Order: sequence, then structure tokens, then C-alpha cells
Amino acid sequence: MDYSQKFCDLFFQALRIRLVEERIIELYPSDGIQSPVHLSIGQEAVAVGVCRDLRKTDLVFCTYRSHAFYLAKGGSLAEMFAELYGKITGCARGKAGSMHLAAPDVGMMGASAVVASTIPHAVGAALAAKRLGHDQVVVGVFGDGATEEGVYHESLNFAVLHRLPVVFLCENNGLAVHSPQKARQGYDILDHARAYGLPVYHIAEGYDLVKVADTMSDIIQRVRSTREPVFVEIRTYRYKEHVGPGEDFVSGYRSKEEWLDWKQQDPLEQQVALIKTIRPAILKEIDEAIYFAMSSPFPPVEELLRDVV
Amino acid sequence: MSCNSAVASFVNGQAVPGLRAEAGTEVMSYRDALHWTMRDALQRHDSVVIMGQGVDDHKGIFGSTTGLAKEFGTDRVMDTPLAEEGMTGVAIGAALNGLYPIQTHIRADFSLLAMNQIINLAAKYKYMFGGRFDVPMLIRLIVGRSWGQGAQHSQSLQSLFAHIPGLQVVMPSSSQTILDTYPAVIDRYRGPVISLEHRLMYDLEFYVYPISIKQEIDPFGSRLVRQGEAITIVATSIMVLEALRAAEHLARLADIQCEVIDLHCVSGPDWDLVMRSVEKTGRLVVADTSWREYGVCAEVCRIVAERNPGCLKTPVVTLGMQPAPCPTAKCLEDLFYPDLRQLVDVLATAVTGKQGHGVPLPDTQSMADVYKRFKGPF
Repeated sequence: MDYSQKFCDLFFQALRIRLVEERIIELYPSDGIQSPVHLSIGQEAVAVGVCRDLRKTDLVFCTYRSHAFYLAKGGSLAEMFAELYGKITGCARGKAGSMHLAAPDVGMMGASAVVASTIPHAVGAALAAKRLGHDQVVVGVFGDGATEEGVYHESLNFAVLHRLPVVFLCENNGLAVHSPQKARQGYDILDHARAYGLPVYHIAEGYDLVKVADTMSDIIQRVRSTREPVFVEIRTYRYKEHVGPGEDFVSGYRSKEEWLDWKQQDPLEQQVALIKTIRPAILKEIDEAIYFAMSSPFPPVEELLRDVV
Repeated sequence: MSCNSAVASFVNGQAVPGLRAEAGTEVMSYRDALHWTMRDALQRHDSVVIMGQGVDDHKGIFGSTTGLAKEFGTDRVMDTPLAEEGMTGVAIGAALNGLYPIQTHIRADFSLLAMNQIINLAAKYKYMFGGRFDVPMLIRLIVGRSWGQGAQHSQSLQSLFAHIPGLQVVMPSSSQTILDTYPAVIDRYRGPVISLEHRLMYDLEFYVYPISIKQEIDPFGSRLVRQGEAITIVATSIMVLEALRAAEHLARLADIQCEVIDLHCVSGPDWDLVMRSVEKTGRLVVADTSWREYGVCAEVCRIVAERNPGCLKTPVVTLGMQPAPCPTAKCLEDLFYPDLRQLVDVLATAVTGKQGHGVPLPDTQSMADVYKRFKGPF
């Protein structure tokens, strides 16, 4: 096994995200987190690999399943837990919950609960970068289901037409809620994207931390220098139900076997010894973040109508 | 609040007798005011980009952007694909990363394709993320009317937008209100603004203050445009001009003095101004460019009913479009929209308390005939 420094760094980031979400699962029955959670468990390597070579000034626009991207991009863990607990110290002052995490100071530009709706934002941010002469790279993260929306097409067209420095990042877990991709799409995502005339990349091993990070490093480097859009599909796997803390293999829409196969490849499942050595430090950070969240006050009354216009 | 800053003084190139023209000393058309503010924004702010279908073509959004692409470049005055949702999302993303987008929809109806981005995203980006983002942008919607615009080229959608917290919705009723509103919004306001411009007014000329005189006027305020004691008319957009014409008619022929308020910012009107006027006159007519149901008419009634229903001496009367999609046959279209005769009639009835009030009504002539210069397709 590759225990290079790079692997260890990536592994630490990915494990941190997994342990955070496992803690959310533990805490969920207490009802302190009153927010629908769409967990990234199983998909951590995508966020960690994509964000590794992004700068703070590079921008990422995300989906409602974005605990992983928020943390990988450098968002504050304490502010995330405070947000989940609906506290004034949350990253959005208790107005976002799990689905709208943001940390603009590190380039995490927000997450939307409406599928595909932030894809054009990434394109627009890239337009601004071009117009204002910034060297930013902008990443629009979306799932396979988002490629079915019209605005996805509109965004690809505009980005190619105006040659904008944006990465279209399709985080393909093969599911839209409970519907498999083959029940929804009469096209092949890569062939379709290729038709727009932009470079198209595919990473099948979305569990492979180093492969994702290395490939994305090259891609981001390319976009930073060419200032032109690219499309990347990364296959991944959602371990948990669409929304909520549980598993749903008994419901019959997917097989447990594919999950078990994926876990065989997942270093966060396999590297038991490594997990043992770094887990305590992460748990300590999580404990502190939760203490910060729980000891923070709820938003005062005046927050209700603050920041509307 | 400002008084008499925006009064129709020219219609079809003819001075309309009785309308108060002392507000300003220079003449500028609605179209030229729009063009001036667009050019001014591009000149003074490198961050401003104008995006819309046809903004760089020879017609230039009915003349409001003509020549600007040549002067400022097509990367700042940018023709767009036919992709209303996507382009609104692009504008939001651009606003989040340092630009000030001005987006145009040559028909307000087309903005319905962008409702997800306007309502779910632009309106909520600030609040939903705890005030950590601003989405400064201006969306210009043009309300069509007359010459067979029909069901999908004529809608006046202000209440749909004004219903949503997070959006500022304005309806300029004159050249001066454009000059007072657009530069102030672009310079100072950091959120999304939707402006509904009325196509019938593009050719109208208005008196304006000289551009060199800077006025500190709240771009989101309402405006008292005529003072009177008998009855209050609360109006929007081109209905402000109709209200002024009706007021002049009643003053001249029946010595009835109407007070006219241009609501202007329908998302946050100056309700104190409205209430002071209604409490003074005890009578209220609301004249809006859209349907009355659940719209501006209904909202003005809500405010009066909640704040001081006892101040009304007579029931409120509301005027708006008939509850149907807009028809194209002129005879039906003329019935679909409220006209000056109808407005004068309801005002006289309310003030005199009599159906047979005896006040002579103006000749029936559709508003389109009065205001319209253009003919044929666009």
C-alpha cells in the first residue's frame, strides 16, 4: 500500500469527513440537529481529491450533499456543527442547516437544494474571473441527475462559447434519490458532454484518493493555464440513504452487493491500522467542534428578518 | 418621497394641457433615460456587464442599449443564448464573483423561464447563507401592450416577484424615475432588483431635472406626484400617467382634486405615504397594470384594511386587467385593459357618491392609441 505523505494527507482529510458524518449519525436521534442531512459517506475521496490542489481563491459551487466539499475546501468544522445545531455561530448564522453550507473566505461558495441550480453560478463566476483578469479556477459540482436538467446544457454551452475557466464536476453516484441512472438517462453522460467540444475526463475509481487527486491536479493545472472549460465525471458510491442517517438496502432499489464491492476498494474501510493511529486526533477535534456548537446561543429574534434584502 | 419629480408632460410629442411640467426643465424620453443610465453604468463601473438576447443588435432592446456594444465591447454588452434560466444563473455567479450584471428580458413573460434562479437562488442567496453573500444585479423586464401582443407578450408580473422576500421590484413610471432609480441602485444597492419597464412609455417624453443636478432620492421610495383633497389614486407604471390624465380631467371639468401616488417600488412601498393620503381624502382607487387578484390592488387593500379601515368614507375601487389571458383582437384588448373613461367614472362616482354623477367622461380612446407610436413587429 502507498503510504506516501500525499496518501496520508488525503487519507486524513477523507477520514475526518467520514468521522464527522458518522458522528452526525450518532447524534441524529437526539434531535439536536433539526435539519435534513444528505450524507457524503462513500463519496469523500471525490471532494478531497478535487479540493487538494485548489487555492483558497478558487471557487467551488456545490449541492445539498456537501458536507464533504465544505470540509475539504477548508470550511470550519466548528461552524458547520453550529450550523447543523441551528446556532448563531453557524457558518450561516443558523439559516442554512445542512443543505446550504458555505465558507466564502475559503472559496466554498454555497450549496443549493435544487438540483443543478448552482452549475450556472460556477460558469458566471468563471465569466467574472475572465472579465476581471483573475487567475481563479471555478468548480461546479453536481450529480448525475443534474445532467438531466436543462440548465446543465445551458451552462455547458455558455462556458464553451465564452471559453471560461470552469470545471464541470459530475459526482456520479448512479442514483437520483432512489432512481438508477439507467432509468433516467437515454444518453451517455460522457458522450453527451463531449458533444460540446470540451475536454472530457472520466475517473472510474472514485474511491482511490491518490488517483482522484493526481488526475484532478493535472486538470486544474490545465484549466488554470488554458482558461478553458473541462468536464470531469467521477464515479462514486453513496453508502447511506438519499437523506437521513440510515442505510436502505432492504428497500430493494439497489443491491447490497454493489455496496460491499465498493467497500472492498474504499481505503476508509480497509486501512484499519492507519485509521487507528489518526482517529483519536480527529475525534478530539470533532468533540471540540460539537462542544462549541452546543454551547453557542441560538439566533436572537432580530435574526429572523436580518439579511433579507 | 418626492413631489412632482416625475410627471408626464409630453404625450406623442404633444404637450398635454394641464399636466404639471414644472418638475424639470429638460426633456428626455423614457427610452433615452434608459439608454443614458445603461451607458452611465458602463462608463462609471468596470464591473457592469449588460447581458441579454439581442442587447448588441441593431434594435438594441427597443433602443435602450443601441450602440453600447460597439462603444464598450461585446464582452460587456453581451448577446446571450436563448437560455433564460442558465443566463440568470450565470448572472448570479458573476455577481458573486465581482461583476454587476444587468440582465434584459425583452418581454417580461420570458423571465418565467428563469423563475428558479430568481426565486430559489437570487432572492435567497443573502439570507440563506447568513448574509455572507451579496447578489448585486438588475433584471430589466419589459411589459408589452397593444398591437396584438397577446397572452405571452404582455404580462405584468410584478406581484409574482414582489411576493418573494429578497427581491426589490420597481416599476419606473417616467424618465425621471429611471434616472433616480437605476444609477442609485447600481451604485449602492447590493441585492437583486427587478425593474418592470412599460413598452408603451418608451416613446414618451418627459420633463426631467438636468442630469448634472444630483438628487438624493430613495430608489425604492414611493412618490407623491399630485396633491389633492378629494380622493387618493395609488398607481403603478403607466397607470400613473392615466391617473394624472384622469386627475386633470376631473380638476378641469368638475373641480375634483385627486391625489396621485406612484407606488414605484411595489416590493416595499412607502405605506406611510399611502396611509397619510387615504386618511386625508377618505377615498381610494388603486390602478395597477396587472391582474387585481392577489396583486398590487389586493396588497394596497390589505394595508389599508389592516392599518386604518375606518378612514375610508367609501369602498375602495380597484382597476386592473380583466381576469383572463390577454386577447389579441383590438376590440377585446381594449376591454381587457382599464381605460381613462373608466378611471374617471369610478373616481367621480366615489367622490360624488352617485352613479349618475353627471361629470362628463372623456372620449373613449384606448390607451394604446394615445401613447403608442410604434406599429408593426419589433
